[in-house]
Amino acid sequence: MTTSTVGPAAASAPAARQASGPAQAWRRLRHQPVTLAAVITIAIIIVIAAAAPLIAPYDAGETDFTSVLAGPSADHLLGTDDFGHDILSQLIYAARTALIVGVGSVLVAMLIGVPMGLILGYKGGWYDRLGSRVMDIADAMPGIMIGFVVIAILGRGTLILIFAIGLIFSMNFARMVRAITLTERKKLYVESAHVTGLRNRQIVFGQVLPNLVGPLAVQGAVFLGNAIKVEAALSFLGLGLPDDQPSWGGMLRTAAEHQVDHPWMALPPGIAIVITVLALNLLGDGINDALSGARTSRKQRKRALHQAPTLAEVEEAKRAVSSVVTTPVAVAPALAQALVTTDKHPDPVLAVRDIHIVADRPDGEVVPLVSSLDLTVGRGEVMGLLGESGSGKSMLAKSILGLLPAGVRVESGSVELAGEELVGRTERQWREIRGKKLGVVFQNPQANLSPVHTVGRQLIDPLRIHHGMSKAVARDQAADLLDMVGVKDAAKRLDDYPHQFSGGMAQRVAIAIALAGDPDVLILDEATSALDVTTQSQVLDLVLDLREKLGMAVINITHDLGVAAEACDRVAIMYHGQLLEVNDVFSLFDEPHHPYTKALLASHPTADHKVDRLPTIADFVTADGEWIAR
Amino acid sequence: MGKLVLYRLGFAIPQLLVVSVVVFSLTYLVPGSPAAAILGVSATPESIALVEEQLGLNRPAGERLLEWFGGLVQGDLGTAYRSGLPVTEMLAQRIPATLSMILGGMVVAIVIGVGVGVYTGTRPGTKADRLLTGGTVLGIAIPEFWLGILLTTVFAAQLGWLPIIGWVPFTVDPWGWFVGLILPSLTLGITGGAIIARQTRASMVRALAAPYTDTLTAAGVPRWKILYQYGVKNAMVPVLASIGVVFAILIGVSFVIEKVFSFPGLGSLMLTSTIGQDFPVVQGVVLFTATLVIAVNLLIDILYGLINPQARPA
Repeated sequence: MTTSTVGPAAASAPAARQASGPAQAWRRLRHQPVTLAAVITIAIIIVIAAAAPLIAPYDAGETDFTSVLAGPSADHLLGTDDFGHDILSQLIYAARTALIVGVGSVLVAMLIGVPMGLILGYKGGWYDRLGSRVMDIADAMPGIMIGFVVIAILGRGTLILIFAIGLIFSMNFARMVRAITLTERKKLYVESAHVTGLRNRQIVFGQVLPNLVGPLAVQGAVFLGNAIKVEAALSFLGLGLPDDQPSWGGMLRTAAEHQVDHPWMALPPGIAIVITVLALNLLGDGINDALSGARTSRKQRKRALHQAPTLAEVEEAKRAVSSVVTTPVAVAPALAQALVTTDKHPDPVLAVRDIHIVADRPDGEVVPLVSSLDLTVGRGEVMGLLGESGSGKSMLAKSILGLLPAGVRVESGSVELAGEELVGRTERQWREIRGKKLGVVFQNPQANLSPVHTVGRQLIDPLRIHHGMSKAVARDQAADLLDMVGVKDAAKRLDDYPHQFSGGMAQRVAIAIALAGDPDVLILDEATSALDVTTQSQVLDLVLDLREKLGMAVINITHDLGVAAEACDRVAIMYHGQLLEVNDVFSLFDEPHHPYTKALLASHPTADHKVDRLPTIADFVTADGEWIAR
Repeated sequence: MGKLVLYRLGFAIPQLLVVSVVVFSLTYLVPGSPAAAILGVSATPESIALVEEQLGLNRPAGERLLEWFGGLVQGDLGTAYRSGLPVTEMLAQRIPATLSMILGGMVVAIVIGVGVGVYTGTRPGTKADRLLTGGTVLGIAIPEFWLGILLTTVFAAQLGWLPIIGWVPFTVDPWGWFVGLILPSLTLGITGGAIIARQTRASMVRALAAPYTDTLTAAGVPRWKILYQYGVKNAMVPVLASIGVVFAILIGVSFVIEKVFSFPGLGSLMLTSTIGQDFPVVQGVVLFTATLVIAVNLLIDILYGLINPQARPA
């Protein structure tokens, strides 16, 4: 059997632009209100810390013994502590301490961690084994314990504290940089840089470091928050800064001593820590999301709704939908006539009528995926659904199963299975259909099965649900099913896990699961596409055998002309969300009617025609969804 | 199972050996000499030499290392510089309080973490999800010792519902032990719970988006079974790793919050020994905690192998 795929013609669209450029990340960052609030909060804290002598009403060390442990007053807005220090002023000066120690220790952590990670990731071998051991040991030590030990050895002091906290987080940086360097090193461009004779140093500084900037910014912000927490904890214990230097942790130490008589004293420094750390963590999350493009703000969505989109936004939107979505299509009248509908099966088990499937984009636009599609499948018939990637064939299958992804829905139309309407069912109502009347096998053999459950468990569960069997009976039945789909030693293999099966065997297991409830229709959604040609043939033969034995109908979704020709009674051709042509397999391959079908068949390489260049299919639809007359 | 345990022990034991060598060599990092540190400002070269002689600090490193390992095998961690008591004995007095607190903290962290994570992970994007996930962000930012101060202020000092000084040994009064552990466990467990909750939510969302979820749904397996049996078990694989990380964090945090609850655990011992540069005690506490972390990670690795068949040795 020769295989050829229809995909490349559709995939020849210009490659998607890199979605993680710094300019784009910055644009996204500006549209995240939470992140923006975090940035403003941090800016305010920095200003307060920098301008402490100007802002603070009293000097850091200034004591007022006439007012000791006093509550808030006009003179002391937040009251005073046991030495008569003004709490507000202490709070402001402590922000300085927190930032100096925090930033200092993150710098120390980076100075130790980044070069270490680069060397381990880049050199590999013994360096890596030794370094990884060091990181393992660091893992066995609670962070704060490292702080204790450093202070026990070196004594107390600001610089020692910065070093101690830096040391705690250095291993996290080393681990992260090592992981990123390892991935970057294996990438093609670094390997090609090697070939073109760039030196190691140039590769590290020119290629690897730029890719580290984003993750380092994220980790830097998060660890800055953590460092401030650790500084506060150590100062709270009296191990941190000298006592005369104001710190939030030190203030809480005093507050804890007076928690019974002056409980309010614990509030200001604690709140200051929470706000600072929270802002830094949110900033880290925000940068992360901006770099990966994971989040869009509500404002952004609104804006897109009410303003005409820019060209760049249109391009981005197209990219965003191109994987799932086809452009809206209007059939040109001349071409519509080419539609061949020998689609009048006398004994239909499944009837799809005038179905419209749409995707709701976040900005409110409704994009059609499948339009006005009619299709009937007869009892015991194998119907091939053939189309290139993005033609809407998988969406059609998912709509029949009621498994459309979030944001995609059936807008109108009907799907009737053995007299029962499938569109608009609730989750509970679907239970009468799924497994009992409809079964499905998806593409990726390994991912179709839960990796942490035995194959037996995944067969026994549906069997018990559909037939109300006891565990023991279901187990026997499961073994019979496995045996039927051609798994040898079936009873023994029930206790195996999916990773112990080859791709072809795993796909047979998935077929057995789909058959557990004796369905009337079995949908194969590219079920053989990931298998090698020999295995593919065997699995298709199995399906045809099972069809004979069990009398079920099969919908075989594929982009493979060979599969369609080998294993189908009738074939339906889909393109850009529309059904172009349905015919019995011989007529379709012998006399294709629609120009697209003709082009499709012409692009199929065969052994008897030797050609220099394989024919390709030019677009039949413009980017705006208009048909091009040919 | 036996094979899995042996395989994991093969990783843990060398790690433990290396850690004990590192802990042993800590005293060599002290600028000058530990003896000078003990004597403080009154140190003279003669007195330093005398103390070094007494403590055996002047003997060759190899000899001392052998002695250190010899002691370790017999459970002897040396003698404290300050009190002159055996370190093992000092640790033994403190370990019950620390272990009790960590146990309570881990229970709270796992219950909150897995509970919130599974709840939010099965309904991502809903109001409840956004509220609770926002709560986890806050939970990670709050300094635990401050939370401890707030909780004792409200529930012990103001409302008087719970004792302000918590520790009662289990052997003396089990109920008192339990009541005394409530506030410390909550304080200790909230940050860890937030970390576990975030991990659980993420891996729950990932598990429920995996193709096998569709396979099982299409085969007619009911939603609750997919969520709570298939989803949770798949999600637990990465969650277990985060529980190991949280355990190490909790030990460190327990050392800090002991002070808030006046717990007579390892933390206060470590604190006084750190300030007093009592190195045998510092070494003993570090070695004990490292062993505990390695042991718990060993347990987690074994559990990991039980849940995830692909992580089992062939």
